[in-house]
Amino acid sequence: MTLRLRTLRTWLVWLVYAFLYVPILVVIVYSFNDARYTTEWKGFTLKWYSALAANGPLVDAALNSLSVATLAATIATVLGTLAAICIRRYRFPGRKVLHGCIYVLTVSPDIVMGISLLIFFIAMGVQLGFWTLLAAHVTLALPFVTVTVLARLAEFDEQLIEAARDLGASEWRAFRHVLLPLAAPAVAAGWLLSFTLSMDDVLVSFFVTGPTFEVLPLRIYSMVRLGVKPDINALSAVMFTVTIVLVLLAQTLTRTRRK
Amino acid sequence: MTQRRPFRTASIAVVWLWLGLFALLPNLGLLLVTFLERGESDFVRLVFTWDNYARLADPVFIRILGESLWLAAASTLVCLLIGYPFAYAVATARRGLRPWLLLLVVIPFWTNSLIRTYALIIILKSQGLASNVLMALGLVREPVSFMYGEFAVFTGLTYTLLPFMILPLYASIEKLDKRLLDAAKDLGASSLRAFWHVTLPLTLPGIVAGCMLVFLPSLGCFYIPEILGGAKSMLIGNFIKNQFLVARDWPLGAAASTILTVLLVLMIIGYWLSSRRVALRERKGADTGAATAGRTPDTAHGDGEDMTHGARGRA
Amino acid sequence: MRTKLHAARAALVMVALALAVLAATLFAVPAVAAEEKVLHVYNWSEYVPQSVLDRFTKETGIKVVYTTYESNEAMYAKIKLLKGVGYDVVVPSTYFISMLRDDGLLARIDKSKLKNFKNLSPKVLNQPFDPGNEYSVPYMWGSAGLMVNRKVVDPASITSWNDLNRPEFAGKVILSDDQRDSMGVALKALGYSVNSTNEAEIKAAYEWLKKLLPAVRVFDVTASKQAFISEEVAAGLIWNGDAYIAASENENLAYVYPREGVPLWVDSLAIPLGAKHKDNALKFIDFLLRPDVAKECVEEYNYSTPNVGAQKILSPELAKSRITSPSDADLKNAEFTNSVGNALEIYEKYWEMLKTGS
Repeated sequence: MTLRLRTLRTWLVWLVYAFLYVPILVVIVYSFNDARYTTEWKGFTLKWYSALAANGPLVDAALNSLSVATLAATIATVLGTLAAICIRRYRFPGRKVLHGCIYVLTVSPDIVMGISLLIFFIAMGVQLGFWTLLAAHVTLALPFVTVTVLARLAEFDEQLIEAARDLGASEWRAFRHVLLPLAAPAVAAGWLLSFTLSMDDVLVSFFVTGPTFEVLPLRIYSMVRLGVKPDINALSAVMFTVTIVLVLLAQTLTRTRRK
Repeated sequence: MTQRRPFRTASIAVVWLWLGLFALLPNLGLLLVTFLERGESDFVRLVFTWDNYARLADPVFIRILGESLWLAAASTLVCLLIGYPFAYAVATARRGLRPWLLLLVVIPFWTNSLIRTYALIIILKSQGLASNVLMALGLVREPVSFMYGEFAVFTGLTYTLLPFMILPLYASIEKLDKRLLDAAKDLGASSLRAFWHVTLPLTLPGIVAGCMLVFLPSLGCFYIPEILGGAKSMLIGNFIKNQFLVARDWPLGAAASTILTVLLVLMIIGYWLSSRRVALRERKGADTGAATAGRTPDTAHGDGEDMTHGARGRA
Repeated sequence: MRTKLHAARAALVMVALALAVLAATLFAVPAVAAEEKVLHVYNWSEYVPQSVLDRFTKETGIKVVYTTYESNEAMYAKIKLLKGVGYDVVVPSTYFISMLRDDGLLARIDKSKLKNFKNLSPKVLNQPFDPGNEYSVPYMWGSAGLMVNRKVVDPASITSWNDLNRPEFAGKVILSDDQRDSMGVALKALGYSVNSTNEAEIKAAYEWLKKLLPAVRVFDVTASKQAFISEEVAAGLIWNGDAYIAASENENLAYVYPREGVPLWVDSLAIPLGAKHKDNALKFIDFLLRPDVAKECVEEYNYSTPNVGAQKILSPELAKSRITSPSDADLKNAEFTNSVGNALEIYEKYWEMLKTGS
């Protein structure tokens, strides 16, 4: 690669990161803004952080969201990866139907998925709450994992796995030691996408959750009518900072272990 | 052959069970609803009718559909143009760094989308951040507003959908064998030719996956065009939501959703068919060698249905 | 292969961290007790101040579990699908009361158990959507009026909804993305009822809006106050609570009650038929009717209170403001939005035509 191209590349990477992070920085700056309603700057304050600390239901909703998103992303990643492998490698009855389901799920507007799942849960006589929400989020995120993993496995050399099988590896061992390492970046990408989707879903969550389990996006969207309060900015700032600290921590940990 | 059974059987069973219960069954129910009549007290009445589809053969609905498809396609293109070089840069960065760079792409999206959209308003509004920066640089004399127009809508959609383009692209580009590129260059190909004939075809599955994950959800997206664009036109996402919630005409909403799904599935099938023709033509050509050899009959290859196949064979 | 292992390891570390967070969460969130002293409130986010909820719990020992919805339409669909089971108190706006009641989803309210019901103003009671208030108790109410910016026009010269067509406002008009609100304004401008079910009148309203359309900058879905405060728009429809805030943030803004009348709304407390804690719900409603509590609620949101007792002890700013405490003259020709039944399809049709430029 020529030097010029390399500089261009570095610039592009920085620009995109700037595009992604400037709005977040705005949120953090405004979490210190001494104004209840406006988007104008009115001076520095910490009061939204104390308001946040006193707002138990909001913090609970955030924690609920985190736990659902973590579990949903993990289950969706496992199921989505398995679905990709089944569609890619095996022949079985209804394979094309399954493949079709993946795309139908991606197209389904949230409102349609939310209402149809709610009707399904009611018909099944399931109590609405954590578990129904979890199942819905897994279903919501699953196709994103499958599509990503399928793309990764597109050029996959079938001979590799056949070689492993010839050497006596079981299908599971071939999966574990050949397929999974190969698909790993796509699996990781799938988990991240799933987590993101789950953390941000409103309409599906609205319909499938019950009267005792509230998640953060619902609580935030429901503020629209009365105006979003700045303690949400404070919450966003706290969550963002904690994430960044965790990531830096994890990065340092893996780096020292490598040495 | 017997020792492979447990994993294979279990995987198929689990995937079938989940998708059958939570995807197939509800969607079949939805399909059924499209043939029912709107009910005043119970949402639907159990009377068979084709009327819902007939009502959608209407210039108003076609305009809504056209506008939505255009907006989704345009934002997908913008995401691809920004996302591809970026994903390429990340995928060719130092190895230990890659997962972290990728993680940094996603982290902003763990902040609630409404809050992020409000932050975009602060940036785009009249006398907002963007306007002030432009004024300070002397590029404009008077405060400008970027709100309530196509620019704001595209900025918002690109911002929200970018990771869904970058991540699949990364997963696909990351495994690209750079020796192929070197070989092409050794054979005298320019950088551009090498990119066009080697890199692009090999990463096509990632491009297709990324475009799908951006295009399909963006069709159902409504609050960004509403908040940033000023809701001056109606999109298919709004239309369906309105039918279900405001007009309470579930059969019509379900029919609109079904038409949307069928339309997109037709597009995907069209893509399969065309990529299969390309693949066949190439297979007839010279290099059928290593790339397509060695496929076992048990696997699902070569039936042209797997849409991630379009790129095969050029390397 | 090395890079894959790294990626896998990194993923593993992340998952471990995530699981740690999860574990912390599970321990941090106290299990919601299934005991009897509990009340499931379904409402807009923070529409009852947390301090009020805490006081209620302290006085009665009843724990309030508060969950939220983002629109009346969504709440209605969900309550209907659940057949009114699961929630003990809901807060539907205006005619959503009659819709829920007509579907047999609301429980009759035993007013003999509400000793503070007498505090309510007759102005908001006994409305067409719930004659005799058998199923609902007003919580908060207000109007949707016309706001203008003094920099653009003298507010004294604005008397009618038709003034939105004035050339000074070209490209600076804001309307609501709620079809009943915007069509309601158009109907009022033409001298019709906001609850018209006559297709000819609705069509005329559509044509009125279509003529105004080139001047419209935004159909608002979130809070219209921001657009007014940052002067992106100069005239248009706004809820009085938002108007109050906007006017206090930007002194150029003025709220006008057009002479054709304004649409009115009221958010009412109601008990779904399948509620499991009806006595607790009645206690909660009665608590919210106490003047001091009603005062605290309305001062948080700057709408109007239906509570005469609260109005007497209201902060002077709110009590003096014509935005939150309108005079009888301001409310001449004003009308509560009501259900339009099957005519909703006509509204929907013309609204789609308006939005697609047909």
